[in-house]
Amino acid sequence: MEATGRRRAPLWRRIVGSDNVAGWSLAGPAIFMMALFSIYPVVWSVILSLERKNLLTGETQWVGWANYKALANDAIFKTALWNSAKYTALFVPISIVAGIFVAVAVNRKLRLMAFYRLAVFVTLAISTISTAIMFMWLADPDYGLINAFLHALHLPEQGFLRDTNEALYVIVAMTVWGWLGFVVIIYLAALQGIPQELIEAAQIDGASRWGTFRNVTLPLLGPATFFLVVWLTINALHLFDEIYLTTKGGPLYSTTVLVYYLFVQAFQNFAAGYGAAMAYVLFGIILVISIIEFMVGKRLVHYSA
Amino acid sequence: MKKMWLGLVTVSVLLATACGGGGGGGESTSGGPSGSAGGGPVEIVFWHGNSGQAGLECTKLVKQWNAANPDIQVKPVFYGSSDRALTKVETAVASGTYPDIAYLYGSWAANIATSPALLPLNDYIQNDPTFNWDDFWPAERYAATVDGKIIGIPALVDNLAIVYNPALFDAAGIQYPTPEWTWDDFRAAAKAMTDPANQQFGWAYPADASEDTVWHWEAMLWEAGGDILNADNTQAVFNSPQGVQALTVLQDMATVDHSIYIDTTNTKIGDVFNGGKIGMLVTGPWDLQGFKNVDYGVQIMPSFDDPSNHQTISGPDNWVLFNNGPERAQAAFEFIKWYTEPDQDIQNALYTATLPIRQSELDVAGYQTFLDKYPGIQTFVENEQNALKARPVTPKYPMVSEALGQAIVSVLLGKADAQTALDQAAQAANAALAAP
Repeated sequence: MEATGRRRAPLWRRIVGSDNVAGWSLAGPAIFMMALFSIYPVVWSVILSLERKNLLTGETQWVGWANYKALANDAIFKTALWNSAKYTALFVPISIVAGIFVAVAVNRKLRLMAFYRLAVFVTLAISTISTAIMFMWLADPDYGLINAFLHALHLPEQGFLRDTNEALYVIVAMTVWGWLGFVVIIYLAALQGIPQELIEAAQIDGASRWGTFRNVTLPLLGPATFFLVVWLTINALHLFDEIYLTTKGGPLYSTTVLVYYLFVQAFQNFAAGYGAAMAYVLFGIILVISIIEFMVGKRLVHYSA
Repeated sequence: MKKMWLGLVTVSVLLATACGGGGGGGESTSGGPSGSAGGGPVEIVFWHGNSGQAGLECTKLVKQWNAANPDIQVKPVFYGSSDRALTKVETAVASGTYPDIAYLYGSWAANIATSPALLPLNDYIQNDPTFNWDDFWPAERYAATVDGKIIGIPALVDNLAIVYNPALFDAAGIQYPTPEWTWDDFRAAAKAMTDPANQQFGWAYPADASEDTVWHWEAMLWEAGGDILNADNTQAVFNSPQGVQALTVLQDMATVDHSIYIDTTNTKIGDVFNGGKIGMLVTGPWDLQGFKNVDYGVQIMPSFDDPSNHQTISGPDNWVLFNNGPERAQAAFEFIKWYTEPDQDIQNALYTATLPIRQSELDVAGYQTFLDKYPGIQTFVENEQNALKARPVTPKYPMVSEALGQAIVSVLLGKADAQTALDQAAQAANAALAAP
């Protein structure tokens, strides 16, 4: 009898043929691109934030913490921080509440429901620039539809994007509208994942419709809400496009938010290091807020019925 | 077995893309092949922001050149909006592969002058007896020169004048603007045409605090006899009595007469004027093609106390050349010289309604066709003679402009009076000028 057992394949075959090689070579290109376009810039901007750098001349001067110290004394930066905080504090809760409301409203069997759902989701498909142009005209103080409406109702007309006290709220309204489709999609999926027997059991036990919603539906939407709060908060702190397209931070810095001010400093005033320092402050803020959100989420969110 | 092949295939694909990406990537970002060392044509890369009809005209001219010059082949690259061009050039220079020629706004001249990749053109222009640098308008030459260094060839020029809607003047029963108009006349006419019930305004002002907000006012500042910075660009002087006089016009019209449509988004003025709701704009020739519904008229800017002082502000942009070795540099210079000659520029102007960039262009064959095609454009051409001053050429100008933009908007919105706003802006500008 010959010795049993398969002959081992040559080493190169084993290497080329192994799961590891196949796996890594499939994932490799993506990892390489990730490293090149996200990890490298992340590290590079740490260094950048400690320098005074002009991207045009390549002139570089090591300044240590000077950029961060200058931020502490920058009145416009403080305004931007405050505006970002105010915006986030409005945008996230309003989006959540409006999203649940609309999702529940379209989670029913009605005639033409497909059309209503489409009408809600269409905001997802509309580009930011279209949304911006539409709102700029709707909210124009002199030619806008909203003021024409207010005028017809004999209500005081508003300045909207011309009024330093109102401009940020117009941006909130615009972005809530723009994101509504996304929030509703997530909630609608969560609503449809709620087992029908739980609702029925509550109803048999005599719970009112509000009671069922409050004590059964809402807790079961917890994971979706948690995801959305984290996601929307990060997005709110990243607000840029809508500002760039409409107010450019004005009037009089009333809509200058963090990322917009960062852009002005880095790309209009060519202070790349200062901009990078600002980006790291923003990173810290997002990190802290996300950690808090996760801690709170752990205590409040139930993942199973 | 199947798996092994998969591994082999992916490894080889990976290798192939890695090589291809490494080798080709560098070239494709530079926009084309580099100049050949031995024989063959020199290839140069030409970055422009012309889209639509202007883009077609631009490519047509380049094709014309390429057909006539087999040893210098130009590759046009559309870089998107010119608004962001400096960022793109910045990135290209930082990466070490940059175009030979790029269209850049004149307000960036002082910034681009600091780039080590820039090709100064003084010697090229001096050594070329047929170039005739003085044929360019004075404002263009000023904007292309930084501390005596010529940083680019003028690519486009424009200026501001009054564009008005005669129908609104007729309806209000007032005379059209004349070349002798003062700002008092302007204000009175705007007031007469303002009708809040019909959302009708005498004037419209871009109030997004951008350079667009600022340069409209800078023309007024010069007319009043003031200046933006002192002679050596170290100190703001715009908060002078002349500055206050110029800004007070805006203050009175916006907060007393309410005769200005203030657009804080700076996106709607053209449409509203075209809709027949605005009596007058102060704007440039680029807007004319958009006013299809208004039988507009054009008049030079009003004056202040000195009735002969009808200045304007000119916004010249440049073709900036970058140094990719002497061979490509010489080729780029020869091409751009040809491209900006009157015969070629008038072809561009015919389709894009831009003003002639050389004074001798007024004598070439196509010029009359150009005037006939664009009503009112002749006033803008002649108005270039009124561009007596230019914005200070300093890398700090963006910061000065930002401070002024906030001052002007705060006055328009009634948040501050002219003197206070200008004093505050001067303080911010001086801080920026003093910073390293």
